[in-house]
Amino acid sequence: MLQMMSHSTSAQSRPRGRARGGTLAALGATLMCAAALLIPVPLAAQGAPAATAPATVPPPAVPSPLPPTEVPGAQQGTKDVGKQLFPNAPKNPLAPLTESAPPAAPAAAPAEGAETRGLDQEIQGLKKDVVDLNKDLFILEEELLFPANTQVAVFVSVDVGDFFALDTVQLKIDQKEVINYLYTPRERDALLKGGVQRLYLGNLKVGPHELVAFFSGSGPNARAYKRGASLRFEKGVGAKYLELKINDRQRKFEPEFEIKDWE
Amino acid sequence: MAQRRVAAGWSAGVCTSVTVRLCALGLTLAAAVGIAAEPPYALIGRSAPDFALHAAAGDNVRLSEHRGEVVVLSFWSSRCTPCRTQLATLNRSFATYRSAGLSIYGVGVDDDPARSEDFARSARVDFALLLDPDKEVSRSYQVDNLPMTVLIDRNGTVRYVVRDYSAASSALYLQQLRALLNE
Repeated sequence: MLQMMSHSTSAQSRPRGRARGGTLAALGATLMCAAALLIPVPLAAQGAPAATAPATVPPPAVPSPLPPTEVPGAQQGTKDVGKQLFPNAPKNPLAPLTESAPPAAPAAAPAEGAETRGLDQEIQGLKKDVVDLNKDLFILEEELLFPANTQVAVFVSVDVGDFFALDTVQLKIDQKEVINYLYTPRERDALLKGGVQRLYLGNLKVGPHELVAFFSGSGPNARAYKRGASLRFEKGVGAKYLELKINDRQRKFEPEFEIKDWE
Repeated sequence: MAQRRVAAGWSAGVCTSVTVRLCALGLTLAAAVGIAAEPPYALIGRSAPDFALHAAAGDNVRLSEHRGEVVVLSFWSSRCTPCRTQLATLNRSFATYRSAGLSIYGVGVDDDPARSEDFARSARVDFALLLDPDKEVSRSYQVDNLPMTVLIDRNGTVRYVVRDYSAASSALYLQQLRALLNE
């Protein structure tokens, strides 16, 4: 019984194996024929590049599930398949399946890149507009708050600075303290590099005024050093600009403080 | 026997219910006290007020120069005992995260600068301890408790505040600090 069953099973397996072998052989032959017939023709006839040709071949090589009548021109030869290399090839229903996706992706990428670039430029333009607007507003605010006929501005500059390291500047105008400014090392460095700082901006009536400035910091030999300077000046109709200058007096090895009227 | 079991079960039930009620009451009180003690900090989400202060030792400090760094301001006083412990904790975090762009400044609110300087010398921390005898900076930061720690992000916005010093608040501070450093 067991022998019969095994025999029957072996007998049943043989035809299946043969059938599989036959199917594979037929498929292989079909592929070979398709490759032999289809590939060279479009290359020769249309002059397409060799790298792109194999990508367009698969539709006819794979056995189509559709009946032959539903694929017009599939068996007409190589011309229709060769036209698949071109996106505008007409009357081939397989063409969209094979050709539509690859050309769409490269076309979308440059468009997206161009759009991003345009957006970046637009953002940069907006940023520039904001900066310009801010500058205009700042100037307008200064003109409104400090009109030219009452404006007084005090600047600070340091020359060399070997004998004095600035720590604070206290400014009094007409016996009234208007600012007490504390300097950090970065600000000191900026002044030593030639920077001029606008220390104070305010309004004064026309007439005589007195400016007193107290400088404190570390002097020669890193000792605490405090000096003052004063200036009597006449405020006219126009804006007044004054400069507090800190110089090194080389002969006496000490700093020198002066107030300069810019007229 | 059955009566004893019933009595034991009843007493256990009463104990459980009393415990639960006590816990609930405690939690409610704790929540109420917590809410009353910590009103919302008004500067959260706002730009940190700029200042320039003398340091007890070293150079002057201006806050606006540290834009781009995470800045921690710790307000302290020489009379505040937990302040010393907190400054030591901050010093440890400063040593760890300094290279990641962390700046820590202690702001002393003592009236007498000499007293603050003595405290600063004894505190032995690696970051600068600033002096605010006029209390202008502490007023602008609305300091209502000592020690108080304010965390400022890289854009100069006040993000977190820790109004006491405890193990829990220290852990919270570290968590918030790491979050800011990772931004």
